Amino acid sequence: MILRNLKFALNSAWQSFWRNLAVSLAAVVSITLILVLAGVNLLVGHALSQVLDGFRAKVSEISINVSDDTPLQNVYDFQQQLAADPRVSNVKFITKDEALARFKSDPQNSVLAQQIEGNPLDAKLEVRVANLGDVAAIDTLGRRWSGVDPTDPTNYQGDFVNRMLQLSSWLSLAGVGLLLILLVVSVVIVMNTIRTAVYHRRKEIEVMKLVGATEWFVRGPFVIEGIMTGLIAASIALGLLVVAYPPAVDRFKSDIGFIPLSYDPAFISSLASDLLLAGALLGALGSYIGVRRYVRI
Amino acid sequence: MLLTPDFDTRPVISFQHVHKTYPTGTEALRDINLEVPEGDFLFLVGPSGAGKSTLVRLLIREEKPTKGKIFVDGVELGRMKRRKLPYYRRKVGLVFQDFKLLPNLTVYENVAFALRVLGEPDSRIQSRVAEALDTVGLSAKDHTYPSNLSGGEQQRVAIARALVHAPRFIIADEPTGNLDPATAWEIMQLFLRINARGATVVMATHNREIVDLLRRRVVAIDAGQVARDDRSGRYHDDFAKSQVRA
Repeated sequence: MILRNLKFALNSAWQSFWRNLAVSLAAVVSITLILVLAGVNLLVGHALSQVLDGFRAKVSEISINVSDDTPLQNVYDFQQQLAADPRVSNVKFITKDEALARFKSDPQNSVLAQQIEGNPLDAKLEVRVANLGDVAAIDTLGRRWSGVDPTDPTNYQGDFVNRMLQLSSWLSLAGVGLLLILLVVSVVIVMNTIRTAVYHRRKEIEVMKLVGATEWFVRGPFVIEGIMTGLIAASIALGLLVVAYPPAVDRFKSDIGFIPLSYDPAFISSLASDLLLAGALLGALGSYIGVRRYVRI
Repeated sequence: MLLTPDFDTRPVISFQHVHKTYPTGTEALRDINLEVPEGDFLFLVGPSGAGKSTLVRLLIREEKPTKGKIFVDGVELGRMKRRKLPYYRRKVGLVFQDFKLLPNLTVYENVAFALRVLGEPDSRIQSRVAEALDTVGLSAKDHTYPSNLSGGEQQRVAIARALVHAPRFIIADEPTGNLDPATAWEIMQLFLRINARGATVVMATHNREIVDLLRRRVVAIDAGQVARDDRSGRYHDDFAKSQVRA
């Protein structure tokens, strides 16, 4: 009996979708637009987090410069002390020679490298800190160490890290806020669209109720119609985003080259499941609320 | 109780001191006491606005009484949970003045609709709809749409739909209101046949001729109260008539 009812609901949802094609299309277009906006929001959010991750990787690594007169044993001891620290994920010792070789290997420094006499560069300990928030503490530790180069102790830029942390939390908050607004708007749109469809069919609903249809029997087709509408809209929105995403990234990269943004095909599949799920849920929720007033006996 | 005729059978419909006041303040029914035994055929008569329709609406639980109790088949309607309501409606066949057919469904589909809602299998729907259409004499028009039928034929479809699930009660609100006298008679014959098969029929009507000729039980409602309850009554009772004339 449940299967028969489901068949009836699917049939009548399909019929209703085509019978009220204008209303259905209006709903599809509205939800598509909203899902495109939501998708753009997700993509921009993803791009930002890509960029932030890049920055984070850079700023979570600090170099502690070693003064030339520090005994090697002292450096090894401090390296071990850092490695044992739970906040540190990795420590690497770069000797003066390695530092110079690295400096020379960078093509940007080629002119400067030819003019260098001797080795003015410090040996250094490159410390990768597990958590961005702990970088400041490791920096303090490094500055207090007896073997540090007092003229240029570390490359840590405190303010920048703090600002980055703040910016990323603000951005994710703004993204969530925008998604919430879009969610509410789309539920209201679906609700009103379905309400129009329901209004056209109020006589049918009245008859259904009079002959003893349960609330779910009446409501089922509308909720399924809402899910259908949502899924169609999500597919269209997804198609538009998939087509527009790579050229948008290319364009952005050519305009603002220094920001490490890249096309991430893996994100598309997560975007697809997000949008389809959102479409189906929005459709179902909007219909459920929209039909409520007429279905209540 | 004075007004209620003495019946041998157990009542299947019972109104006990029922009052209905709408939120607007309109007092539609006052202290209604009424018992309908199984298999009864009852006419509800009275002027427009007397409360007949409210009584029908209470019976199909579109409204709840403000005070008092209504029992149908042992269940108190006012206390029935909302989710139980569909199952109650399935025991009832409803016929209205405006037919309430779905214009985009054929005659067959309209009648089948009452069974689809119950989740009946297709094979059963087919045989029972055929039987119901045969009863109302519309077997030949099963693929016609309601807009291509006369008023009488549309009401026959509505009756077929009301009886296709073999309800124990038929509640009809002005079923002949939109029909010419000859067609009204044909429709009444159908109701009498359904009643003869055992279904209890409650019918609100303005059709004086039919009520007077059939001489069935007549409950007259006036100003929200039961003014008269005759076991084999007429549309107007002679005493009231003489008073009106005076």
